[in-house]
Amino acid sequence: MLRLRITILLALLLLPARAHTEPADPYATERQRMVETQMVARGIEDPLTLKALAEVPRHRFVDEGRRSAAYLDTPLPIGHGQTISQPYMVAFMTEIIRPRPGQRILEIGTGSGYQAAVLAACGVEVYSIEIVPPLAERSTALLRELGYRVETRSGDGFFGWPEAAPFDAVVVTAAAEFIPPPLIDQLKEGGLMVIPVGTPFQMQTLMLVEKREGKTRSRNLMPVRFVPLRRGE
Amino acid sequence: MNRRLWALGLLSAALIALQLALMQSFAISQWHHFAYMVIAIALLGFGTAGTLLALSRPWALRHAPLLLPLLLFACALAMALASGRAPTLFGRFDTYLLPYEPLQALWLLAVILLLSLPFLLGALVIGILFIAQAERIGLTYFANLFGSGLGGLLGLALLSGFAPERLPALLALPVLIAGLVLLPSRHRSLQGLAILSLGTILFGLAHPPELPLSQFKDLRRALDLPQSRTVARRHDPYGQVQAVTSPAPRFAPGLSLDYRGEIPPGDLLFSNGDAFGFVPRASYPDSARLLDATPQGLPYAVARPQSVLILQAGTGLAAAQALNRGAKRIVAVEPHRAALELLRTEYPESAGVFFARPEIRLFAAEPRTWPAVDRERYDLIVLPTVGTFGGGAGVMALHEQHLLTKEAFAEFWRKLTPDGLLCLTAWLDHPPRAPLRLAATLAEFLESAGIADPSRHLAAARGWGTVTYCLKRSPLTPEEVANAREFCRRWSFDPLLLPGLTTAERQHFHQLPDSTLFTLLDGLLFGDRRKIYRDYLFDLRPAEDERPFFSQFLRLKTLPHLKRLFGEGALPVVELGSLVLVATLLLTTLAAVVLILLPLARIGWRGNGRAATVGYFGALGLGYMLSEIALIHRFVLYLGHPVQAAAVVIATLLIASGLGSAASERLSLQRLTPRRAAFVVVVLLGLYIGLLGPLLHATITLATAGRIALALLILTPLGFCLGLPFPLGLRRLHQRQPEAVPWAWGINGCLSVVGGSLATLIAILAGFNVVLLAAALAYVLAGLSARNLSQKLSAP
Repeated sequence: MLRLRITILLALLLLPARAHTEPADPYATERQRMVETQMVARGIEDPLTLKALAEVPRHRFVDEGRRSAAYLDTPLPIGHGQTISQPYMVAFMTEIIRPRPGQRILEIGTGSGYQAAVLAACGVEVYSIEIVPPLAERSTALLRELGYRVETRSGDGFFGWPEAAPFDAVVVTAAAEFIPPPLIDQLKEGGLMVIPVGTPFQMQTLMLVEKREGKTRSRNLMPVRFVPLRRGE
Repeated sequence: MNRRLWALGLLSAALIALQLALMQSFAISQWHHFAYMVIAIALLGFGTAGTLLALSRPWALRHAPLLLPLLLFACALAMALASGRAPTLFGRFDTYLLPYEPLQALWLLAVILLLSLPFLLGALVIGILFIAQAERIGLTYFANLFGSGLGGLLGLALLSGFAPERLPALLALPVLIAGLVLLPSRHRSLQGLAILSLGTILFGLAHPPELPLSQFKDLRRALDLPQSRTVARRHDPYGQVQAVTSPAPRFAPGLSLDYRGEIPPGDLLFSNGDAFGFVPRASYPDSARLLDATPQGLPYAVARPQSVLILQAGTGLAAAQALNRGAKRIVAVEPHRAALELLRTEYPESAGVFFARPEIRLFAAEPRTWPAVDRERYDLIVLPTVGTFGGGAGVMALHEQHLLTKEAFAEFWRKLTPDGLLCLTAWLDHPPRAPLRLAATLAEFLESAGIADPSRHLAAARGWGTVTYCLKRSPLTPEEVANAREFCRRWSFDPLLLPGLTTAERQHFHQLPDSTLFTLLDGLLFGDRRKIYRDYLFDLRPAEDERPFFSQFLRLKTLPHLKRLFGEGALPVVELGSLVLVATLLLTTLAAVVLILLPLARIGWRGNGRAATVGYFGALGLGYMLSEIALIHRFVLYLGHPVQAAAVVIATLLIASGLGSAASERLSLQRLTPRRAAFVVVVLLGLYIGLLGPLLHATITLATAGRIALALLILTPLGFCLGLPFPLGLRRLHQRQPEAVPWAWGINGCLSVVGGSLATLIAILAGFNVVLLAAALAYVLAGLSARNLSQKLSAP
């Protein structure tokens, strides 16, 4: 029932957008299908997240040669060994940190800029750091062109963004073999950090880190590359 | 020996050395599983040449005096151009994208075809010489195989001093010389081609191609970091080592989320483009201290080891950790000499602790064979971390990991002092595989060691990304158990295995989405592990010396179930290495059929004994490749080094086969028929299947020179006999049906292509002895076909 409600809500959300963008946006139908088949069908329920995913033109964040695959259920390479995450992964990571307008969120690994755009479309204040300079330049220019309000910086995500801290949430899209202590320090008490563990093009698990009463705990949520393991059983 | 045989020897040597250079190039730009593709590519060129000759035999023979130097110059040109530049083309291909982009398969096919060109041209020369000198086929075959054998050694020597991308142009030189040896005097066009080839070679030597790295290789990603640059580079046959500096890299794998100290930056070392280790810029002891805040700190929390053996010590941080924790005698064993040399010369200050501290003794040796030659015992033995961050995608599936077999654990156990600990760390993967296979290996080993209650000997701590197992030779004391608990509490790790552990304790700090890991772990260690082996989606049976592919988890039986569970196209995500192997097998087989067999259909089947010809020469191609690759795998552990094993086995087999071929010329076909020769090989392979394993095990403690000498002694009789059936069969065929000789050669080449990839596939699924068994069956088939071959051919 809930899923039906969300689908109706989604359809309503998309109606004016489609009427407005269809002539200029040949991917609107694909995007709607992506939201319905890859997000709603797999249990993404947060209306704000779904609205953001229905709005952000994912195809603009991938190379022109790969635009036809932009809304498929897969990550895509964006150069420099980086990828734009699978759409469901972006949706899940967005929903899990419960973004609300006015919150302040730090993203480590801007990459294509898609995740930052989705967060910005949720109405949160986004700070995003990318270590690979060409990617940082490209995503900063694109986010500006598309009108998303995202503060970007090219540099080492290890140190976080102390001037803008503390953050309600930290989204680490380019995970490392360890979690930098400054990022945990810059997380608010009760704040959440979400990290995909594993490398692109393989089975990744989303890990949620929660800072509470001075202790940090983690929760491995589920493998996110494909339909969750338990769902298929 | 006449000039043609000299030219043949030079060409054969260059072609084999070229294969080794290409293997190394692809290992650097992509991953090492393309080594098998290179063998298949070379054989594809050989098979295609056989077919072309079948179609143009009289013409080729008539024009041989001009064709031979022409083809040699063209081959030299193709080596310098196609082989030299193919890695650049290969840069457009990426293993990781193979399952997602159909175009990637086309790039792979394009590389296969382009690279087969120099082998095709070289093989045309070899084929013409075989036909032209059919009456002296034994001696010709000898020159071919002897040259090939020497080429293996030459390639190995060159890889010690040169980057592999420089070698194709360099190796084109002997081919050019071979052409000059056969060049008729005053032939201006050919002289022009020779000059063009020489110019191309010189250009290739002066401007070697840049090896493009897959964007997903560790090295490529490090070089993408700001202000990143390569500061040092070394080569040896083990691989190319590169040191990269950048302000960003730090090292603390699986670090506790509660760690609040500094994490000092450092440089990164890469071997063939894959991460090899971290070199702190400032202080080794400070960086090693971080390891105490990872699950790897567990053994030092449980006990106070005074003597520590670090196997596959890498850049030495684990040795520095042992030093920090008060160990008085530390032995570090690392096989990668070039990496050690780079550390010693480029990082004398920071890595100095690894070389200068009296407590640490560093040995450049193969870690698996080390315990057999070392007389000491240790309080702690530390193995390298298993797997990669977040779990592998199967690119390691074809790697032999001799440190992680049941037999290896038994040897390490014997090296422990009465209260000693064996420590292993693995990255957690999803779905869980590597940590579970480690547990299964520990369980089976403990059972074989007669340990009735494994739970009293095992402690394990789990962080957010890694798990560390400690196996204690004597039962854990209550104090040690309390120490382990306190360690976990201090760093917010969850105890995974401890005597008296409660279920709640296992997921206090790091929750998993379900209890699969715990259920399977307990089942493997304390329950019905055979049932788990039978029912789980992945193969969790321990790796053995016979099948040391620790990271290969694919089970053919559960493929449909896996597909249902994870969706279409999911398999490559967990088993990429196996997929690439299968893709290579299919693509090369397809190319072999199209390029070798289909064109032959044009001339049709003429004469009698067609099935016998296919059966005999096809089975020989398959059998030879299966034997060769199985023996290379078998000798990796014994000779302690994959490249050394490949060089010794290939060179010995080829040279001995060459001698066998030369000897076959003196033998009467009445006394040694092709059939008898094939059955001699069957008998020998049977002996190897039964005796080789125990013989190698019993003599593994010999010095390196002794082991190499014994390897030569073991391999020579088989190599000699493997060299007999082909020329004997070819001689018989030439006597009765000379026009069928290229056919036979083509079929032999086609099945060799298949055999190259098939051997590895069988090895990872069933073990080396099964590959040898398959080789023996191929020779049985050859023997049976040989009888028919004789009968049919003797018919008027």
